[in-house]
Amino acid sequence: MSINTLKYKGYVGKILRVNLTDGTTSDFPITNELAENYIGGAGMAARILYDELEPGIDPLSPENKAILLTGPVEGTMLPTASRVGLYSKSPLTNSFFHSTAGGHFGPELKYAGYDGIIFEGASEKPVYLFIDDGLAEICDASHLWGMDTTKVQEELFEELGSEEIQIAAIGPAGEKLVRFACVICGSRALGRGGLGAVLGSKKLKAVAVRGQGDVNVPDMRKMKIFLDELFARFNANPSTSEILPRYGTPVLVNANNTLGMFGFNNWQDEFYPEAEGLSGDTMRKELVKRDKSCFACPSRCGKFSIVGKGANKGVMVEGPEYEDIFSLGSMCGHNNLDVVAAAERLCDDLGVDAIEAGVAIAFAMECYEKGILTDKDTDGIELKFGRSDIIMDMVKKVAMRETKLGNILAEGVKRASEKIGKGSADFAMQNKGLTFPGHSARGMPGFALGYATGPRGGSHHDGRPTGERTGFVKRNTIEGKGEYTARINHLNILTDSMIVCHLPESVWGPLDITDILVRCLNITTGMNLTLNETKKTAERIWNLIRAFSVREGYRREDDTLPKRFMEEPIKTGPSKDMVISKEMLDYMLDQYYDFRGWDRETGIPTRERLLELGLEDIANDMEKYK
Amino acid sequence: MTGWKETPSQKKKIMQITLKTFATLKDVIGQKEIPVELAPKANLTDLFDFLDKKYGNSFDRQVRDQLTKELVPFLILVNDKTYRSIADMDKSISDGDVVTIMIPFDGG
Repeated sequence: MSINTLKYKGYVGKILRVNLTDGTTSDFPITNELAENYIGGAGMAARILYDELEPGIDPLSPENKAILLTGPVEGTMLPTASRVGLYSKSPLTNSFFHSTAGGHFGPELKYAGYDGIIFEGASEKPVYLFIDDGLAEICDASHLWGMDTTKVQEELFEELGSEEIQIAAIGPAGEKLVRFACVICGSRALGRGGLGAVLGSKKLKAVAVRGQGDVNVPDMRKMKIFLDELFARFNANPSTSEILPRYGTPVLVNANNTLGMFGFNNWQDEFYPEAEGLSGDTMRKELVKRDKSCFACPSRCGKFSIVGKGANKGVMVEGPEYEDIFSLGSMCGHNNLDVVAAAERLCDDLGVDAIEAGVAIAFAMECYEKGILTDKDTDGIELKFGRSDIIMDMVKKVAMRETKLGNILAEGVKRASEKIGKGSADFAMQNKGLTFPGHSARGMPGFALGYATGPRGGSHHDGRPTGERTGFVKRNTIEGKGEYTARINHLNILTDSMIVCHLPESVWGPLDITDILVRCLNITTGMNLTLNETKKTAERIWNLIRAFSVREGYRREDDTLPKRFMEEPIKTGPSKDMVISKEMLDYMLDQYYDFRGWDRETGIPTRERLLELGLEDIANDMEKYK
Repeated sequence: MTGWKETPSQKKKIMQITLKTFATLKDVIGQKEIPVELAPKANLTDLFDFLDKKYGNSFDRQVRDQLTKELVPFLILVNDKTYRSIADMDKSISDGDVVTIMIPFDGG
């Protein structure tokens, strides 16, 4: 039995370890060293998985592990302290992956008595885990297997006798090992990276949590004073007080399209003349019934919508979010917002990442447009851009692995393009296996570098578009973007380790770690970190994750962009002619590696930098890969 | 004087631009685009002064931090060229320009 000597507040102090092969559970204590060096969330999970996973394992094998984990702030009243992350080796990218969701699951998990859960092994039969105020039980889920994520939650509310339970569940796509299957928590998604397929491979259908516990902080009076200051800042900022509450993320449709940075027809262009039909203004007028908030968040960016007309009349959804509108709408060349809303709900129910699903359909549409796929391959479907009437059917085919084409697309666009061939890899819009969301690479050089170097590949949460899109820095230059991107990486990985939401980033940063985040950490945990120490911690975590990728075979040549972004300038609109050429990317990569202290030729962190960051064991490991 | 007539804006020695907005700024202004009359040689600061006077606090809340009262960073398009609220407010605008104020939005 371990004795918990964790001296920091905020944490419960223990993670539940669940072995699904033999059905046993045990406690994994959070040590002072783990908390100090890796904080929580992405940082702590990366350290555990680096230590416990063998390089080269199949992400969908029992050898992989999946961790649900919170950070020290979850369950306090700090704004956006709502989150939970899911961490594993991704079946899409074959490297460390983290995906987070808001809602209420994270705080409830801590109130139930655990900071997180490590799942290892694999069950023979479908199971779900129920944690009820500190008591964990692995339960039979045979009756839930095959159900969609909404139905699973309804069934478990009934079975467990309460709706005061938070549930994370996979849908049929996770069971069928679709490589971009997600996990749905309430109506929020642990969306990216295919981690729902990892749970599916373990036959883990759901996790249900309920608790009455508390999250303690060192000095409640100090916390209350700080909360007053924080909420005043949220209330004073136009983004968090006016725009997010009223329009949510879909406001970006008009913002990005007006700048000529809105992916359209599989990124063949970035200015969509008919975008108004998909805009936040249109959505507010035609779909939104009320605003929704995650736990402890004053910004209420969630939008509860009901489709009011057409074939999908009556469909209810939390959303659609901007990324769904991009992937299931403009990328497929149509502006039917009703279809987007219904398709997003279908993605959530079946349990697939709506970004990957929409981009996979757009990729197939371009294959069809170019004659690479024919009616024979599509079972007679005219897979043309602009056909909103086939989106629902295509989502279902992909998420359920129905038909030969659906099965190919369910592998993600990278693997699909390798299977289809005929030059289709040139317009498979992904990096490291993950498709790009709705933020321009060609229009924002620093952000393009974030896409290229991101350990997750095409993620908009490794780099961030905000600094260039809102004019914190100059958009039309590559100078200084190496350091710019590295500092934003650190801001993101710190917030993903605490864990707080990225959306209020002009309050948190948005260009670097600022004192306000350090105070969030110190007031919650009692750590007494300085700004420089916090920045060093974030850099340590970033390097650890890079080392994970190096161990899995990633090098400089993988820090790249698709041919389209490097060779085809934007055709129309205010960003016309912008492109990120190979030379531009190489210039920025050199800047980025130099700032980081990584080897320019390989992209491997140097021994000196790793030692400076206190990562001697990792430095020794990296010697093998030089 | 024959064969030539002053337009109304020339008579008043003013110029006219088109202001485009969306989302919360559109809510404040009431429409997606409106004509705005400004003095010749006006710049972006003059445009914002006009909007401050006409729409008051409801406009101010969309573009300034309410604690510091400073403009937060966002982009402004003059025709198809982008300018930054934190660096380019002295940019002069001309008769017939189309000015789009991008709202200051984090995230995505």
